[in-house]
Amino acid sequence: MKKSPLEIKILSKMQPGEITLNGFLGEDSRDLYDIIAEDERTLETLGVSANELADKMQYFTDKSSDSFMDSVEIDEIFIVDTEVVRGKLPCPFSHPGIYRKTITTLTNKKYNITIRWTALNIHLIKEHHFFEGKNSAFRLDPQVLLKALFA
Amino acid sequence: MLMQILKDVAVVSGISTLLAVVLIIAQKYLSDYGICKINLNKKRDVSVEGGSSLLNSLAEEQIFLPSACGGRGSCGTCKCKVNSGGGPLLPTEKPFLSKTELADNVRLACQVKVKSDMEINVPESIFNIRRFQAKVHEIIDYTYDIKGITLKLVSPDTIDFQAGQFVQIESQAYAKIKQKVVRAYSISSKPQDNDRIQLIIRLVPEGICTTWIHKYLEEGSDVTFTGPYGDFYIRDTEADIIFVAGGSGKAPMKSMLEDLQVKGTTRKMTYFFGARTAKDLYLTDEMRSFEQVFSDFKYEPVLSKPAPEDKWKGKTGFVMPYFQDAIRDPKNTEAYLCGSPGMINAVKKSLIAMGVPDDKIYYDSFG
Repeated sequence: MKKSPLEIKILSKMQPGEITLNGFLGEDSRDLYDIIAEDERTLETLGVSANELADKMQYFTDKSSDSFMDSVEIDEIFIVDTEVVRGKLPCPFSHPGIYRKTITTLTNKKYNITIRWTALNIHLIKEHHFFEGKNSAFRLDPQVLLKALFA
Repeated sequence: MLMQILKDVAVVSGISTLLAVVLIIAQKYLSDYGICKINLNKKRDVSVEGGSSLLNSLAEEQIFLPSACGGRGSCGTCKCKVNSGGGPLLPTEKPFLSKTELADNVRLACQVKVKSDMEINVPESIFNIRRFQAKVHEIIDYTYDIKGITLKLVSPDTIDFQAGQFVQIESQAYAKIKQKVVRAYSISSKPQDNDRIQLIIRLVPEGICTTWIHKYLEEGSDVTFTGPYGDFYIRDTEADIIFVAGGSGKAPMKSMLEDLQVKGTTRKMTYFFGARTAKDLYLTDEMRSFEQVFSDFKYEPVLSKPAPEDKWKGKTGFVMPYFQDAIRDPKNTEAYLCGSPGMINAVKKSLIAMGVPDDKIYYDSFG
């Protein structure tokens, strides 16, 4: 199907070297809206909203940001560490605002799962339901994300 | 019927394309704004060809406003006060401007197009900013993810900066990266070595510029940068000093200490460097050697999570609990901080609680 000018603009910003080194799409050749739609269907099956996931991610990022030199243990299950590096990133959907380069790493000891996300990931999930393309460096599979965030 | 529809679609598409081409040509030839005069700080005029962004127009005149995104409107750092001639505020600018800035006619220079004579206010310090061509002189691996890069200046061949200031490196196209990006890094060498600068750069995951620097630069490589920028520098007083840094935040502190070594000082100084494990420590011997240089200087590395194999016998945990022993008169103490916003906030809060005046706490927060 022919892509709209908006989709073309968004896709160009998601390419390697535009905002991040390897871009947001990984090796995913599907249309952007198909990527989003499939993850939305997964969320529906799982019975959780993108908003709930993003809010929980933000909760862990905030909790661990206070402990800037160390990881924190939360509820005796989650080991969370947020690292801030120099710089900020814009949203590829041209949403206003810029997002500090933070990387939160969470280990769920109960399920032995470790995932990581950036401040921009939280925004992309909350506002655009975009979990990134398959094999992208910061792709977050909704199913894994749900299992990791909610013990 | 189908043929007729296809024919109509083709005609409409053709007309649309033709109109688009006409608009582009009209833009090129009819939107001739001529030569526009930009008045800076009511002191100096520059004449530029209209039609370009204020950021680029000033850069053409060798006047460089800070810009971390190369004028794409995504970093919000190229702010300046536009008193007249800037046109209406654009939606792309609003998210980056506070209410006070909006009321004060502050704009993003990369979004303002020069279409008529303008009157603007910029910090006086930017008139010292230049674009430099340099060559990589030396690369040192400080840790597994931090390198020290020394750039020998080619043109201009000297730089005038204050210890603590930063430059903006312009990365070049490499591998699948097609365009340059601009990123800010603090100078870690002393101002007296004015034919070169050293930068301490940490590899950022998925970072376009730091990957170029870490993986693609080698001795002899050409590098372009602009600078110096920033107002993070040692104030010329007799107050005691607390330095606090983490990670690559060591860069401006190294520059400041080397500068003070040349100038000489008897100020009481304590430098806390926060890291997680021993493998995150670097330049420890160099920093400790300042204890022999200055009459009252102490270097205090603090590890938040030393590994068993580190066999660390030094200070552990957060840096803040150790401030008490280092501060003898809070009202007569200045603090210089460089690191993550989380670190800056926590350290600032602790220092203020101890009585260090808010306006004597200077910092360079990553971002």
